[in-house]
Amino acid sequence: MMDYTNAVELHDITKRYGDFTAVRDINLAVPRGSIYGFLGPNGAGKTTTLRMILDIIKPTSGSLSVLGASSAMEVRQRIGYLPEEKGLYKKMKTWAVIAYFARLKGVGAREAKNRAYELLERYGLKEFSDKKVETLSKGMGQKVQVLASIAHQPEFVILDEPFSGLDPSNQQVMEEVISDLNKGGTTIVFSTHVMSHAERICDRILLIAKAEMVFDGTIPQAKALIPKMVNLSGVHDPATLRSLPGVASTEAAAGLPGSYDVCMTENADPQQLLRDCFRNDIELTAFNYHEPTLHDVFLHLVGEDAKVASFR
Amino acid sequence: MNNTFHIAGREYSENARTKGFWINLIMFPLILFASIKVPQLLEEKAKPTRHFVLVDQSGEFESVVDQALEREYQRSVVKKLLEYIQVNHLGNDEQESRSTAEMLEQIPAGFMEMDFAAGLSGDMADSMIAMVDKENPLLLDMLAKPGALDAFLDVLYQQLGADPPLFEAPRRMLERSSMPQDAWGDLDPTTASTAEIVAVIKPYLLDEKNFLDFKDPLFALVIVPQDALQQLKGPGKKNDGDPLTAHERGVQFWSTNLTDNDLAKLVERAINDDIQQREFGARNLDSAAIKAAQNTKMQFASFDPKKAAGEEVVSLADTIRKFAPIGFVYLMWVAIFTVVNMLLNNMVEEKSNRIIEVLLSSATPWEIMSGKLIGIAGVGLTMMTVWIFSLLGVLKFMAGPSVEWAGVLFEVIQSSGLLPLFAFYFFCGYMIYSGLFLAIGSLCTTVKEAQNFMGTATVILMVPLFTMVFVTMDPHGSLATFLTWVPLYTPFVMMNRAAADPPTSVMIGSGILMGVTAIFSLWLSSRIFRIGVLRIGQPPKILELLKSLLSQR
Repeated sequence: MMDYTNAVELHDITKRYGDFTAVRDINLAVPRGSIYGFLGPNGAGKTTTLRMILDIIKPTSGSLSVLGASSAMEVRQRIGYLPEEKGLYKKMKTWAVIAYFARLKGVGAREAKNRAYELLERYGLKEFSDKKVETLSKGMGQKVQVLASIAHQPEFVILDEPFSGLDPSNQQVMEEVISDLNKGGTTIVFSTHVMSHAERICDRILLIAKAEMVFDGTIPQAKALIPKMVNLSGVHDPATLRSLPGVASTEAAAGLPGSYDVCMTENADPQQLLRDCFRNDIELTAFNYHEPTLHDVFLHLVGEDAKVASFR
Repeated sequence: MNNTFHIAGREYSENARTKGFWINLIMFPLILFASIKVPQLLEEKAKPTRHFVLVDQSGEFESVVDQALEREYQRSVVKKLLEYIQVNHLGNDEQESRSTAEMLEQIPAGFMEMDFAAGLSGDMADSMIAMVDKENPLLLDMLAKPGALDAFLDVLYQQLGADPPLFEAPRRMLERSSMPQDAWGDLDPTTASTAEIVAVIKPYLLDEKNFLDFKDPLFALVIVPQDALQQLKGPGKKNDGDPLTAHERGVQFWSTNLTDNDLAKLVERAINDDIQQREFGARNLDSAAIKAAQNTKMQFASFDPKKAAGEEVVSLADTIRKFAPIGFVYLMWVAIFTVVNMLLNNMVEEKSNRIIEVLLSSATPWEIMSGKLIGIAGVGLTMMTVWIFSLLGVLKFMAGPSVEWAGVLFEVIQSSGLLPLFAFYFFCGYMIYSGLFLAIGSLCTTVKEAQNFMGTATVILMVPLFTMVFVTMDPHGSLATFLTWVPLYTPFVMMNRAAADPPTSVMIGSGILMGVTAIFSLWLSSRIFRIGVLRIGQPPKILELLKSLLSQR
C-alpha cells in the first residue's frame, strides 16, 4: 500500500467537451482523514470533477493522484463511490446488492454477505434485508446505496449529493454515517449545494462556480472572506459610529429609525466595536452580531451566478 | 478478471430469474409438442363429421361412392390400429422394411375367403398383425369384411396379455346422408334440374335449415346428372352441339367450405376410377391386366456421390438432414435475438438508473463488458441446451407411426454432426451481434431510444430468415455464396448450408471472417461502450461518434 498524505491531489485539471469547458484549472489537495465538501451551484462542475477523480472520465489536461496512485482504477478497491443519481438493481434482494458491490471491490463472498446484513441492521433496515430493492422507498433505497458504497470499508469515499432526496431525519442519519466513517479514519469527499450540511461536517470546502474554483480552504477561512455585519439599534449619532475603528461603512436599516447595519473592516472584532460604542457614549438599545453562515459566503462568492445557474 | 466473473454471475442469475426466461424455456418444448400433436388431435377430435347429400340421377355411382367412403374409413381404422399396436408394443421392427409382395407371401391360402365371424387362429392373427400397414390394400379389403375387425381384435387382446386398453375404432369423418322425403316436396330429385335441386338444398348448406339435428350445417351436396355418362371428357369424347358450359357439365360439388377438399377429392377419384373401369370394358380391355401393367415399375433410387461407398442411397433421413438446418437457423435466430435483447435491456437499465457509474468506479469498462457478454452468453447457452434436449426429447417421445419423421429427425440430429456446428455458429453469431447490441445499449439512455435502433436492427436481421429456404434448395448457389460473405449473415447462412457440406475453403474462410467480425464488433463496442456509457440524453450523431471513436480519449 502506497503511503500518501493527501488522499487526492489535483493539478491544473481541466475537462473540455468540444467547445464547452466543464472544469477549468482545478488545483486541490484533500488531506488524508479529512471531510471535504465540494460546493457550488448546479452545473458548476462538481460531478465532473468527482468523476475525474474516480477515473470514470479522463481529464483533458492536468494531472492527479488518488491515494498515491496516478489513477483511481489502480486503487479502486480502496475507494467507495455514491453517484449523484441513485439507482439499484430493482429485482435483487437488498442484502445481495450490497454484497455484490462489495464483492466487486474484492471482498470475499461470505464476508460480503455478513457485512451487508451488519450494515443493514446498524442503519435500521434489518427487516428489509431479504426483500427486493423495488419494495424500498426512495429514501431507504438511497441509504442502501450508501451502504453498498461503503461495505468494503474503503479508506476513501466519494459521495455525490448524498443528501438530495432525503427527508430531514434521514439527512441526519446521513450525517451520522459520514462522521462515523470519518471517525474510523476514512477520507470523505462529498458534493452538495445545501450549505448547512457542509458547514456542520466539513473540515474543508471547495467552492466551484462556472467550472472554476472560487474558494478552497477551511470553513473559518471561508467565513473570513466576507465582512462581518453588526446591527445596532437606538443610535442617535451615526456620524460618531462611522468614525469608530473597524467600521467600514454604515447603512440605515430600512423602516427602523435609529437602526444601522454596520459593515466591519477585515479582522475587526465586533466585541471591540461594542466596547468602543460605550466608550464614545453611543447609546444602544440592541446589538446584534451573527457569525456569517456558509450560505452568506456562498452568495457572496457566487452571487448572481448561483441564482442564474440554479434556474437553468 | 475476478470482477468479470462477478458481473457475469450477476447477469446470469438476474436474467435466469426473470419470468421471460422461464417462459421461453418452457414454451419451446410445449409449442413443439403442440405443433405436432394439435393438428393430429384436431383431425381426430375437433373436425366434425362431414355429412353430405349425394343426388345421383344417373343411378350409376351411389355404390361407387359408398365403397370409396368405406375404404377411406378402413384406412383410418388401420392407421389407428397401427398406432394401437405400436403403443402397446406389439409391432416388430422388421415391419417397415417389408414390401407388399413379401406380405402377400405370408398370407395363408384361403385367408380372404375365411369367415372372420367364427374367429381367427393364432397364426392367422400373427399374419394379420404383420400385415398391419396403412398402405396395405389386402388388409384394407379384409377389415372391410363383416366381423373381421372384431375377430382380429379378439386375438390381439389375447396377445397383449392381461387387461389391455380396448381399441377404440375411429369416428367416421365422412358420412353420406339422405334428405328426408318431405324436404323435396313435389320435386322428384331423380328428374329435377340441377338448379331445382340446388334451390332445395341450398338453405341446408347455408345453415338456414337443418334436418340432421347436428350442430353443423350440411357440408356438401354432390349432384351426378342423369346424363353424366354422356358428358365425359377425353379422347374420342366429343360433346358436339352441347349447349352446356364446362361448369354445368358433369358432377357438381356444392359446399360453403371449399378449403377442406378431402370429400371432393374422394368423390372425384372414386367416380373417375369407376369411369376408367367402364372405359376398359367398353374397349374390351382386360382391366386386371391393365392394373397389373400399371403396377409394373422400374425401381428408382437417388444417390449422393458424397456419401461413403455402399451408402449412397438417398433416404428419408437424407432429405430430413438436408432440411434440418432450416430448423437450426430458426432456433439460432430466435436464441440470438432473445439473448442480445436481454443484453440491450440490461445495458439500458443500468444506464438509465446510473448503476453503471458505480460499476465503472469498481471495474474497468472491459471487465464490465466482458462480464455482461459472458453472463448473458451463459443464459443463451442454458436456453439452447434446454431447447435442444427438449427437442430431442419431444421427437423421441412423439416418434411413432403417425409422426414417422420425428424418429428419423431424432436420429439425424444425433448423428449428423449438425449439433457441434450449430454450437459453433451460435457462438460466432452471438459474439458478433452481442457486440453490436451492447454498443447500441451503451448509446441509449431510455428503452424507447433503444427500440428505435432495434427496429433497424430487426430488419437487417430478418434477411437470413427470408432466405433460408432458398439457401437450402441451392446451398452452393449465388445467393448462398453471396450471403456467406456478408459478415452479419455468415453464421446463419453457414448453418443453413451446413448439411450440404460446403467446400473446406469456404468453411475455413467463413470461420476466419466470423472470427474477425466478432473481434471487430467487440473492439468497436468496447470503444463505443466507453464513450456511450456515461452519456445522458440524446444518442450521439454518427459523425460525432466516429470522431470520438478515432480519438484517443
